[in-house]
Amino acid sequence: MKVTYNWLKEYVDFDWSVEELAERITMLGVEVEGIAETGGAFDGIVIGQVITRDQHPNADKLTLCKVSDGSEELQIVCGATNFQAGDKVALATLGTAMPVEEGDKPFVIKEGKIRGELSQGMMCSGRELKLSDDHEGILILPDDAQVGQSFGEHLGRAEKDTVYDLEVTPNRPDLNGVIGLAREIAALTGNPLKLPETNLNESKESVDGSVAVQIEDAELCPRYNARAIRGVKVGPSPDWLSSRLEQVGIRPINNVVDVTNYVMMETGQPLHAFDLNLLSKANDRHTVVVRRAVDGEPFTTLDEAEHRLGTDHLLIADPEKGIALAGVMGGLNTEIQDTTQDVLLETAYFNPQNIRATSKQLALHTDASYRFERGADVGCADWVSRRAARLIVEVAGGELLAGAVDAYPQPHEPKEITLRHARTDALLGIAIEPAKAVEYLQGLELELVAQDDASATFRIPSWRVDLKREVDLVEEVCRVHGVDAIPATAPRGCLGAHAFDVQHDALTEVREILVGLGLDEAQGQTLISDESAQLAADAWVALEYPLSSDMNVLRPSLLPGLLDSLRNNLTRQSSDVMLFEVGRTFAPGPQEIRKIAVLLTGQRQHAFWQDDPVKLGISDLKGVVEELLESLGVYGVQFVRRNEATTLWLESAELKMGKEIIGQLGQLQPALGKRYEAREAVYLAEVDLDVLLHRRTTNKSFKALPQFPASERDVAMIVPESVTHADVLAVVKTAKPANLVNTTLFDVFRGKNVPEGQKSLAYSFTYRNAEKTLKDKEVNAAHEQLVAALTEQLSATIRDT
Amino acid sequence: MSLLDEINPLKAEALAELNAATDQSTLDRAKGAWLGPQGRFTGLMKQMGSLSKEERPLAGKAINAAKGELEAALQTARDRVELASAAPAEPTDFTAPGRRRRLGKLHPLTQVTEDIVKSFRKLGFVVADGPEIEDEYHCFDALNTPADHPARDAQDTFYVETDGRPLLRTHTSSVQIRVLKEQKPPVRIIVPGRVYRRDTADATHNPTFHQVEGLYVDRGVTVSDLKGTVEFVFRELMGPKTQIRFRPHYFSYTEPSFEIDFANSLTRKMGKDWLEIAGCGMVHPAVLEEVGLDPEEWSGWAFGFGIERIAMLRYGINDIRLFYENDTRFLHQF
Repeated sequence: MKVTYNWLKEYVDFDWSVEELAERITMLGVEVEGIAETGGAFDGIVIGQVITRDQHPNADKLTLCKVSDGSEELQIVCGATNFQAGDKVALATLGTAMPVEEGDKPFVIKEGKIRGELSQGMMCSGRELKLSDDHEGILILPDDAQVGQSFGEHLGRAEKDTVYDLEVTPNRPDLNGVIGLAREIAALTGNPLKLPETNLNESKESVDGSVAVQIEDAELCPRYNARAIRGVKVGPSPDWLSSRLEQVGIRPINNVVDVTNYVMMETGQPLHAFDLNLLSKANDRHTVVVRRAVDGEPFTTLDEAEHRLGTDHLLIADPEKGIALAGVMGGLNTEIQDTTQDVLLETAYFNPQNIRATSKQLALHTDASYRFERGADVGCADWVSRRAARLIVEVAGGELLAGAVDAYPQPHEPKEITLRHARTDALLGIAIEPAKAVEYLQGLELELVAQDDASATFRIPSWRVDLKREVDLVEEVCRVHGVDAIPATAPRGCLGAHAFDVQHDALTEVREILVGLGLDEAQGQTLISDESAQLAADAWVALEYPLSSDMNVLRPSLLPGLLDSLRNNLTRQSSDVMLFEVGRTFAPGPQEIRKIAVLLTGQRQHAFWQDDPVKLGISDLKGVVEELLESLGVYGVQFVRRNEATTLWLESAELKMGKEIIGQLGQLQPALGKRYEAREAVYLAEVDLDVLLHRRTTNKSFKALPQFPASERDVAMIVPESVTHADVLAVVKTAKPANLVNTTLFDVFRGKNVPEGQKSLAYSFTYRNAEKTLKDKEVNAAHEQLVAALTEQLSATIRDT
Repeated sequence: MSLLDEINPLKAEALAELNAATDQSTLDRAKGAWLGPQGRFTGLMKQMGSLSKEERPLAGKAINAAKGELEAALQTARDRVELASAAPAEPTDFTAPGRRRRLGKLHPLTQVTEDIVKSFRKLGFVVADGPEIEDEYHCFDALNTPADHPARDAQDTFYVETDGRPLLRTHTSSVQIRVLKEQKPPVRIIVPGRVYRRDTADATHNPTFHQVEGLYVDRGVTVSDLKGTVEFVFRELMGPKTQIRFRPHYFSYTEPSFEIDFANSLTRKMGKDWLEIAGCGMVHPAVLEEVGLDPEEWSGWAFGFGIERIAMLRYGINDIRLFYENDTRFLHQF
């Protein structure tokens, strides 16, 4: 909503500067989103009158004049000769910055001597004022120009003003008009609200004789007020009216329509003017019928858009046709035109929900619908109608028919709310004098109907649709008192409790483990495309009306997001990427599942002096996963290789705990990688984090440090390709050699001296006893037994080392 | 020449060789040549047997003394050689870059969230959570925001294409209802999490973003409490000299409602007196009634703010989309 400083001042006195007013309005709860200066083009130029005109003593072509500016007499040297004593002129006073074209140097009027004579201002020509090209002489104003009046005002030009762009919260429709804001300022300052005069000069003919209103749906239209003005002369509005509308962002149309817009901005109540004679009659009267549209009823609004209406749409009609889409926009068929002579003025109240639905459905948002859907003031219709009727007669002439047709079947019952003073204090945390609280609320025009020591009861004015219960009055007291005046007290209170608190820390722990491993944390979009989703899942949750096809489903996996992040890095020349994300994924149900995903590509180690660079490999990925599992205390995860490639995976494994699949890891299909700009191998893993956190063991207990030395035995053996590390561990486990405490795979080799289809695995076995130093003999016995088991069960050939 | 006369010249020769050795192998060779089993000095000792009874003690003493000297010289030479071999061949250039271990970085949104969580936990708050796929009831209706309420306009909502037409929560306030329905007051929680609004992505919008909600419900909770807590938390987050301003506002689920503005060196740098940072208010009695609490007995406050906004202000980030692109050059700045 836009409002100007000067406009507000018409309704309430205040002595705040432009900035102070912005601050005060803001602190009342109406945020000022913008402040702009307007008008003031002729600031400093006033209407003067030439008192004497004499020849300049030292220059033939100059005159020396005495000119009145309305309060004092000035001496002015002038070069023109087209005037005489008594003429009214445009007088630029000292300090005036003359209007200039863009790019011109500013020109400021200063006191000075011209050919030895003092000159205290300038009488202006049309060209100097940028009003015409006339430079022959100064501009002579009509006789009725008022000496001392500002020239801008004389021309009807907007004086200097400040336009505020306000964010009015949806609960306060009453602030969508200047008077509503003025009322708040009145409450704050204690100064009275000055409402415009609404006394009417009516004709003898009563409006009832020519206008009738029938409300068929009083639920959707609780009130409809109509006035009629005959014999208007439609034309451009006077400058004060059109310039004010322009200041607040409304395009002037003609004097009648402009008045309805002006009064809407002034009061917050939308109005509409019809060409009365275009309304058909019933019983010899122009009749307004407020009814629901018939299903499929065509209707053309003022903007020449054609609509097909339904029974949910409220229509203002005459006995034959629709004439306005109630509360949203008037009809083309009855709009005010240059030829219009008689005007029907509508001031009504419509059901907010219905207007909102209509406006939304037809995508037709107007200043009127904006106000009606937030809730207009049902009580003010007649007053607003009088105000507008008086203005129409003032600017467009004509004769106002006596009275109004005010269809208002069930007048608004004002609500009464009781405020307990103790309640105010309890919520705000300070003691507010009961008398003060009452004064604040009365200042907002809440009518005190009863009070005792502990409480006060108020009748709520019809425009305050937001005041529904006691707490709303507490808020009003708080606003007027000023939230600044409520002290901040040190935090106090109880200890909170919630089951998730522990989980939050677990998630933090997971992040910290991965960061410690050198990975960066990513945060991906929750909304991704179904095309990306299908890379990692068979089913997902879709959005009903997505914003775009890039973001039409909820991510079923974190992997597509990591791949997007990968692309963002690779296209910006960061080729070594180690990312993880901890986040929520979504599955049909819908279910929300927290996962953790890892992506690695590029180099683990860069060339450094003589060291060669090292590329990341699948074992780096597995190492990250293993480290995470161990740090969290999750044991017994098996990595089960998938025998087949998939769309996503070139090679991959499932992570299993018992029968439950808790994740997967592997190498991305290179063809898919290319789509994400990857030229090197990309390794991905994703694990169900909820399961990990559920299955983790956080119990830790101390084991005595080994006191006695260990013995190591290395074995290199050639086995068929099909033998896995897990197979070796299984044999070791069943062989159970005495004192074996650790088994480490330290080399896998294929090539020289290893037959095709086989590989060499090199293991280091550590033997140790907690009670004594083992003798070589003891270690050898156990180790031989182990080697025998390996040879036998894995068809292994032991290589001599 | 007698044996005794040989001792000193041999010793001098041996000492010269030991002292001259500059590396381990020369030293080892010198040691072998003189003191090894076949060494010349060892050879001298072996000749002792050929001496007369008279000469033997005298020679023994002299040889032992010389041997002691040689061994001491050997030790000195060893120390010297070890030290020499430990020193780098060339002097180190301490201005050259070190070999770095790469440390990963937490996402800036995580870092900011953690800071927020830490400051609230100092006050006894715990972290709570709720679903991101919500229903109309928890997200709007129970929060005193009925279907036709104009406030629903401002937060255009994503709906999920599935039975019951659930929605993506537009604010973390939905968790207020879930927790208050589950837990008897006093309740003291914060809820960090993702929320969703139908905004096309641009420099200041992303359809996914993060919020933190704070909720305190107890007996006798007041606006003063709210102000005190908000001031504490924002001074922790934005610096001890941060000024906080409360401005009346409107939210359907709080009454009275306020917006919170802050001012510090950061806002001054941006040329602003105040910058809006959060919304808050006293829990609306209708919300308390909805979860079965008597507003005469219980009162509370809630506030919420955007984590991206805090992170953007704190680090001077000018485009919200950077948070979701995960450019490692970006991530490594925080």
